[in-house]
Amino acid sequence: MPANAGIGLRAQHHLHVLSESPDVSWFEAHSENYFAEGGSHVECLSRIRSRYPLSLHGVGLSLGSTDPLNREHLANLRRVIARFEPALVSEHLSWCSAGGRFANDLLPLPYTEEALRHVGSRIAQVQDALGRQILLENVSSYLQFSASTMPEWEFVAGVAAESGCGILLDLNNVYVAAHNHEFDSREYLEGIPRRIVQEFHLAGFSRIDLDGQELLVDTHGTPVCDAVWDLYRAALRRFGNVPALIEWDTDLPNFDVLQAEARKADSLRSALHAVAA
Amino acid sequence: MPSLRELQVHLMDALLGAGSPPVTLLIAGPGAAAERRLGVYANTVQGNFRDALHSTYPAVWRLVGEDYFRQTAREFQRHHPSRSGDLLHCGQGFPDFLAQLHPDDGFTYLADVARLEWLIQESLLSAEHAPLDLASLARVPPAAYDGLRFELHPTLRLFESRYPALAIWEVNVGSVAEPPMIDLRSGEDRIAIVRQRLQLQFHRLSAGECFFLHAFERGECFSAAVDCGGEADAAFAASAALQRFVAAGAVVAFTSTVKT
Repeated sequence: MPANAGIGLRAQHHLHVLSESPDVSWFEAHSENYFAEGGSHVECLSRIRSRYPLSLHGVGLSLGSTDPLNREHLANLRRVIARFEPALVSEHLSWCSAGGRFANDLLPLPYTEEALRHVGSRIAQVQDALGRQILLENVSSYLQFSASTMPEWEFVAGVAAESGCGILLDLNNVYVAAHNHEFDSREYLEGIPRRIVQEFHLAGFSRIDLDGQELLVDTHGTPVCDAVWDLYRAALRRFGNVPALIEWDTDLPNFDVLQAEARKADSLRSALHAVAA
Repeated sequence: MPSLRELQVHLMDALLGAGSPPVTLLIAGPGAAAERRLGVYANTVQGNFRDALHSTYPAVWRLVGEDYFRQTAREFQRHHPSRSGDLLHCGQGFPDFLAQLHPDDGFTYLADVARLEWLIQESLLSAEHAPLDLASLARVPPAAYDGLRFELHPTLRLFESRYPALAIWEVNVGSVAEPPMIDLRSGEDRIAIVRQRLQLQFHRLSAGECFFLHAFERGECFSAAVDCGGEADAAFAASAALQRFVAAGAVVAFTSTVKT
């Protein structure tokens, strides 16, 4: 994957990307959006893939669920990987199903030894089935479980050690969770081993008022905020030359706004890289 | 402490409105705050499901209006939660759910419009297929036709309704601000939906043609399909129908059931 920043590909971008061939280093697409056997999405991604490097990012495998691993979903994932040959494949450190019912949302796990062992073995199973390493993304969260016995960063690092997966560190999610649960986002970065982080996510969030308490919600509908850019600088210092991805999902702006965010990420990265060199 | 399994099942019950176990006890912080934090997730879970249903059923959404659609989507999700990590499938039971809600009132047609929208989605997402190899069909001796099994295009879907559902769908997915009224008694639908490349095509069928294609769909051979068409419609002309469906790209392959 190029070291420059990529952009999260949404269906609304397909025609623009195909007709304009914008200057973008790479794209990341949601795996499930291309599970269909045919149709316009699949055709567009095939054509985009022939011009740009690609990462596939899953939202529905439900890695943290205690239901049996969904074999059909895994088979679909294997099929899209064979079809689009992505450089990176990632999933979320979350769960979205119980008893066969799906919430189709990224639900947080309790940070316990039991959950750590469970997710670690599930990721190992998935990596075996896919025949490759996957990256695991930390999620935003709006609640914590009483059962948790360790901080989130210790859980993330533990799962990576247990399964051998890489980490996709979503810096917006770190910032949102740190605000919502009152911990120090720098301590989070310090808790993640240096070599395992292979991608960053950058995005914007919204603020909601929960009876006088401000909660940050990971809506991906605004520019990356200054505090998250600061965290990105800190992450670049700690983890080195790791490619970042700009994510935007709601209230999509013109494509050039996303390109400007990606260029900003590139300039911060090259400035730090130049200093380090 | 609950097991991971218990925690997940209780939380899912709470998010889908399928019960109210003391789930807030699982969440750190005071009970009322825990309830509100859980509500942030519940809103997303319901919103994602509703958005997926809306993108599958845009005409139904327009026909019933946003408020009714939101309420119906919520009820539908409570009884038929998503069963897949891919939300494309979550609306499969929606036409039957609407049929149960409106078994015999002025809105009975809604379920048929929904059925049409589901078939359209299926067609849009099915695999491509090369057209029929006409040269190889030309080499089949006429006497062997009866034993041929014709294969339909993977995007082909057959739709029948006693309402003019396609006309209702067409005016409600367009950009017209005020869709024209359509008389529910203005005709019934028998339609073959097929996608060529990225273009959906709708072919109106006679009763004979419809039975003929259904027979192909069931894997019956040509002679049995001809009989089905003829039983439904005395004027059914099999060779003209076959030519029509080959030209439309609806029939894409054949195999012989007789060893030569």
